[in-house]
Amino acid sequence: MDYKEIEKRVKKVTSEVLGIDDEKITPESRFVEDLGAESVQSLELVAAFEDEFDIEMEEDAALQVKTVGKAVEFIQRHLEGK
Amino acid sequence: MKILIYEDTGWRDLLPLTFIKCVFEIRCGYDSVLDKIRAVIPDGEIGLWVRDYIKPLMAKRYNLPVNDTSFFGDDLLVVNGRWLPSSEGRIVISEEKIVSYKGEIIYGLVRKETVQKFWNGDIDKFLSGIKENVRTEEKETRCIRYPWDLIVYNPSVLKDDFIRYGRKGIKGEFHSIAAIVGDSEKLYIEEGAKIHPFVVIDTTHGPVYIDRGAEIFPSARIEGPCYIGKDTQIMPGANIREGNSFGDVCRIGGEVEESIFYSYANKYHDGFIGHSYIGEFVNLGALTTNSDLKNDYSNVSVYLNGKPQDTGSLKVGSFIGDHTKTSIGTLFNTGTIAGLMCNITAGGILPKYFPSFAWYVNNKFMKGYGLDMMINTAKTVMGRRKRQWLDEEEYAIRVAYEMTEEERKEAIKKSRKTSK
Repeated sequence: MDYKEIEKRVKKVTSEVLGIDDEKITPESRFVEDLGAESVQSLELVAAFEDEFDIEMEEDAALQVKTVGKAVEFIQRHLEGK
Repeated sequence: MKILIYEDTGWRDLLPLTFIKCVFEIRCGYDSVLDKIRAVIPDGEIGLWVRDYIKPLMAKRYNLPVNDTSFFGDDLLVVNGRWLPSSEGRIVISEEKIVSYKGEIIYGLVRKETVQKFWNGDIDKFLSGIKENVRTEEKETRCIRYPWDLIVYNPSVLKDDFIRYGRKGIKGEFHSIAAIVGDSEKLYIEEGAKIHPFVVIDTTHGPVYIDRGAEIFPSARIEGPCYIGKDTQIMPGANIREGNSFGDVCRIGGEVEESIFYSYANKYHDGFIGHSYIGEFVNLGALTTNSDLKNDYSNVSVYLNGKPQDTGSLKVGSFIGDHTKTSIGTLFNTGTIAGLMCNITAGGILPKYFPSFAWYVNNKFMKGYGLDMMINTAKTVMGRRKRQWLDEEEYAIRVAYEMTEEERKEAIKKSRKTSK
């Protein structure tokens, strides 16, 4: 899966979990500061990304990811390692 | 004579209370099972025998030999670490025999020759060897097999312990407008304890023992039998019904009935907890409540080792492992097990089984913040109560995390399937 496709799906998932219009989500958007993710929603995002991409992410590492762009890179690395 | 207090495979049926504690560290009545056993065993060199992963922690906590095989080279008094002795007095035993209850060894004196015959390095094989070959005498006593046994036994153990401790009277501060209902001979208030105005202590159905430094705030009502541990606070207006045991440094508010709180457990606010066992450093958010009776008045079943098991009791509450936290407004179903270090938030009808370290948020099991962060939180919580964090405890927690990984993953997977 290429970067653009992953980015599109990351935005879609983020939009669904946080209830934000996906046009407002950019690679620079920070989950907490810009998109308003509460701590519980961060956990939901991890679960939703795992479902969307059929991957397993380490909790500690996944929660260190702060922006949408970094999440795309993180997921891409996981998909490459599958 | 050497005395070996042992933990057998029965620790598995006492989960989640025994993930990072030995069976004899469980509380019932005024103190731990080990304290009660030590009060009745004869003089001799005491040793402990426990499962491997908890051995370093036990060696750190107790200044006693742990899993020392040299004990098997002498006459040996073996004592089951799940035995809850009653007020029958000290063990007097001079001939080789086993005393059992419902087929389980309670204690037994085994002569050196017999010890050497059956000891091959495996405690379970040793125990079954002596059980089959040494004269056995059945005796009526108490032995903890399942977590709910503790709740059944606690009221009678509270009464026995009041006799065993042998104290009565008021040594602490008792405000002039606090009241005693019932026999004041069944009350002991230790020096340094403080009873505020409008507190009512009712000894009609059993004795009340309030230990050193405990504080009972205004308008609380305490029914016996009850034990309130050292430096524990009973918050204003609390309704402490009969049959409760609170360890040291607890904060207890709201309504509590026939329950055991391990030391450092926190239930600061309103909400009902009944027929339950609450682990060490558990924090129950405001209005956390458990059901302890089903609407159809049938026996309560509890998930044990992955399967529901009939407890044979109509009244069974929740069993909550050490370091677990609940959010405000959490409502536990009848007969719930919540494992070690869970994070549980309120929402709808909750499951009856929470795997250890699970996070339950918005009606779903999910991955939490990871074990390292949970351990950091536990260190902070313990530091606030001036309790030292032990590397050996962390090791036991990490082993428990691995032990429970599969069931946690399974719960998350199931949860995701049902929420789609």
